[in-house]
Amino acid sequence: MSYKCSRCKRDVTLDEYGGVRCPYCGHRVLLKERSRDVKEVEVE
Amino acid sequence: MELRVIEKADTMLSIEVAGEDHTFMNVLKGALLETEGVTAATYDVNPEQSGGQTEPILTIKTEENVDALDALEDGAERVIAKSQNFREAFEAAA
Amino acid sequence: MTEEYEVEFVDLGEREATFLVRPITPAFANGIRRAMIADVPTFSIDTVRFIENSSVMFDEQLGLRLGLVPLSTPPGEFEEGEEVTLSLDVEGPETAYSGDLVASDPMVEPADDNIPIIDLKDGQRLELEADAVLDSGREHAKHQGGVAVSYRHLQTVEVVGERGEFAADDPHVLRGVIEEQEADAAADADAQNGDLVPTDAFDNDLTNRYPEKELDVHDIEDAFVFNVETDGSFDVETLVLEAVGSLETRADELKEAVQL
Repeated sequence: MSYKCSRCKRDVTLDEYGGVRCPYCGHRVLLKERSRDVKEVEVE
Repeated sequence: MELRVIEKADTMLSIEVAGEDHTFMNVLKGALLETEGVTAATYDVNPEQSGGQTEPILTIKTEENVDALDALEDGAERVIAKSQNFREAFEAAA
Repeated sequence: MTEEYEVEFVDLGEREATFLVRPITPAFANGIRRAMIADVPTFSIDTVRFIENSSVMFDEQLGLRLGLVPLSTPPGEFEEGEEVTLSLDVEGPETAYSGDLVASDPMVEPADDNIPIIDLKDGQRLELEADAVLDSGREHAKHQGGVAVSYRHLQTVEVVGERGEFAADDPHVLRGVIEEQEADAAADADAQNGDLVPTDAFDNDLTNRYPEKELDVHDIEDAFVFNVETDGSFDVETLVLEAVGSLETRADELKEAVQL
């Protein structure tokens, strides 16, 4: 899973052992980035 | 446009006109009332206790020597003629 | 057999017009009005593929805005249900406008270039591909070609006497178009009987046109003044003719179905 650290703005990849924590600066708030997939929307 | 005859006698016709609404039905009804030999013309888009009938039903009554189906054809022709006349007049003025 | 029509324009513009038709039955007039609103198809964006949207609004919100952008629709070139693709790519700081939509088919492009879609700040970007589909107002209001379509009776004013000396001098407000039949009493020296006069020519107040007169206003039977405004997908003439055409097509279909 890829996240972005809200303090140092670096991309973070979490594994199942490290817990929720930025490995670069130790900050515990991570932001989920929008997927790079193309999203199709029906206009209604 | 799909037609389904509901009731037919010589001088009376009741017919379902699937896929149409007031836009066309009222024009058609108006034209039928101007047509020679037609004594009554009406339509209903959702008759009471219709059991879910929502397609318009056109009902025509005609004079004795006029077949109701022929009258319907005359009515349709009248709408065509009105449309053509309107187009000509509009194009001439624009 | 059928009556001939007489059409007279009071005002004719690209997107807005006022014209008089007579003699026309209320049934036929209303049929034309309804057909203009609901039955003349126009292109409108229906599906959007968002490649990148880092703006402050959700994809769905932008999709809705894009759907409401009028697209030019040449008559007779496309079948209902046919699709045309457009694309948009704008990077902030910049406002994305309808004019930034690039059409794959030059016949179908935004009718106006200056409709704002979203304000993008520094670093925000909007990139998308959109499919516009040809459909009618009956399916969705975004496909309506006629945005303000109405008709009302042509009216005429009759002078029935002099205004009483002590009568209150209230305004006599009237809207629409009148046919001049009392030219001698009109304040306008060039007035001729038979003239079509839009009421805003005298500030919608009959006391300006016929001062000091006692008046009666009548509707003229079977004479209707249409007011038509399009969203820019096509001009007024196209809208009216397509609407009448759609009625004629249906009558044709009916005639053929009856003959079988």
